[in-house]
Amino acid sequence: MAGRRVLVTGVSGYLGSEIARSLAADPEIEHVVGLDERPPRERLRDVEFIEADIRGGELGELLPRAGVDTVIHNKIVRRPGPRLSPRAAHEINVIGTLELLAACERAAGVAAIVIRGSAGIYGAEPDAPQFFPEELARLYPLRTRFQRDVGEIENLFDAFARRNREVVCTMLRYQPAIGPSLDTQITQYLSPPLVPTPLGFDPRIQLVHEYDAVGATLAAVRRPVRGAVNVAGPGTIGLSRLVRRAGRSALPVPAVLFDTATATARRLGGPRVSPDLRRLLRYGRAVDTTRLTEEVGFRPRFSTPDAVEDWVRAKGGRRLVSAVGELLPGR
Amino acid sequence: MNDAPRTPGESATGPLLRPAVVFLRALRAGLARGVSPLEALASAGAALPGEARGAIEAAISRLEGDYAEDEWGFDEGFADAVFPLLELMYERWWRVRAIGVGNVPAHGRALLVANHAGVLPWDATMIATAIMREHPLPRPTRFLVLRWAFELPWLSIAVRRLGGVVASPYNAVRLLEEEELVAVFPEGARGIGKRWSERYRLQRFGRGGFVEIALRTGAPIVPVAVVGSEEIYPKIADARLLARLIGAPYFPITPTFPALGPLGAIPLPSRWRIEFGEPIETAGYGPDSAEDRRLVLELAERVRSDIQDRLLTGVFERGSAFI
Repeated sequence: MAGRRVLVTGVSGYLGSEIARSLAADPEIEHVVGLDERPPRERLRDVEFIEADIRGGELGELLPRAGVDTVIHNKIVRRPGPRLSPRAAHEINVIGTLELLAACERAAGVAAIVIRGSAGIYGAEPDAPQFFPEELARLYPLRTRFQRDVGEIENLFDAFARRNREVVCTMLRYQPAIGPSLDTQITQYLSPPLVPTPLGFDPRIQLVHEYDAVGATLAAVRRPVRGAVNVAGPGTIGLSRLVRRAGRSALPVPAVLFDTATATARRLGGPRVSPDLRRLLRYGRAVDTTRLTEEVGFRPRFSTPDAVEDWVRAKGGRRLVSAVGELLPGR
Repeated sequence: MNDAPRTPGESATGPLLRPAVVFLRALRAGLARGVSPLEALASAGAALPGEARGAIEAAISRLEGDYAEDEWGFDEGFADAVFPLLELMYERWWRVRAIGVGNVPAHGRALLVANHAGVLPWDATMIATAIMREHPLPRPTRFLVLRWAFELPWLSIAVRRLGGVVASPYNAVRLLEEEELVAVFPEGARGIGKRWSERYRLQRFGRGGFVEIALRTGAPIVPVAVVGSEEIYPKIADARLLARLIGAPYFPITPTFPALGPLGAIPLPSRWRIEFGEPIETAGYGPDSAEDRRLVLELAERVRSDIQDRLLTGVFERGSAFI
């Protein structure tokens, strides 16, 4: 394993930076190359940074020159932000992956590819198995734009793996991440004092702590396995409990008005609720992580409830109900 | 939950109401002595017995989300809170007689297989209550529920918190591998959508999926015959169009529903009898036998006829349906 050379795409995001930093600190890894459209906020020590657009055609030349044997594909947009249109997100996700895989095919010497994908491919369905095993990815139709992106990425990757059997291809299916350093759709959703929730529904939500999100990718680099692997903190948390732990109040909204309500809140400066999150908030989703622990050999440090606790602790802030509780005599 | 069976007179509000009365009395006494209202309030607060303070603190920690759910969403605190209501239904409303509860294994995996009737899954809750109350070593029951329960508001929450999961072989196998007690209703929607004239006649048991699950996990099958659930919502007709509109497998019309609106959802007070049969061991066949279609169908038929026999004798032994 000694002397491995690794490329990390999307290195400027928080998780990408952390992955590159940890790899650079690993004595078994000789060289780390980071790729993104813009440089990371602070310079990463011992990481060679290449500024390039993953959608552009430059990868075909850059990759052989970097001489890497392992590629971590981390540039997958989970949420079109204010500066990124859904169309651009789709291009980064699908065209970016296509370009990257094409470059890997041409560059000799790539032995392992790890994609940091999404468990969003399973969807959120009322009659879904309570814990999705990896083989049930196509149980339901892909309903949202992001799901179709992930579906296309997986198709491209599967086709690549069939053609290049000598390359170990690992598809990590991540549940939404949470953590003190992250700014994700979930943390934004939980930021206003009143959080809209679907009236009469309280689904099970499963998350992964940012620490484990980094750790799982590193573990997959260290011990590459073929095929898909779910990544999540074990256990689940009910949506209402999640909202309460975050110190927020739930505002139950009837299902038919939910879209309108979140759209209105968005116009008033509230967070954006994507169609994926909307379904997740109604039906929830959890995955089976047996493969992650047994085959990749990675045991997450934070279960889903622990990940939420850690995030709440770091976020600080006092909750109204606990203030009331302290008024009780003798407490 | 409670290990010792409760006395019938103890109601859900009992422990909460008593301290409130104590508090109000202390407050009134303080005011009568002529101290300022604030002081009276403070001293009355100090007089609050520990159990009331415990109740308030429990309510607060609940509001803060400081309670446990397991990974399936089963919420023991919620189940505990609902238990008195289920006990009331069990004891007073349906006057359930449970027979052979000892046949349910006290620990380890086991698959309860029961007949299904009544529009809402009351029979599952009564089987669970019978085990909690009458079994020498009470344990919670997980039950497999049809998908539409998870599409309906509130029902989805209640079912999940009480230990219900979507009827899927993946869920059943995983639960049994975690050594849980799992209840299944192989009749499924065919069972609850039965007409009045078809009561206590078991519908087809699917393709014997429950036997495959038991064989694969080596879990013993305990046949359960529930008598009484057929009378709680006597279905006289089925509105197909309405059912399709709300996405339910059927839309029942009973003498009270939908004529009385939500009140029609109150089940009729029939008399119940729940009989647990001797467990049928499956561990001896080995997990590979789940592929053996003939064995699967044979075992399914054996379980079906066992339940059917118990139903017929049960209906006879119960006597009158309502009084």
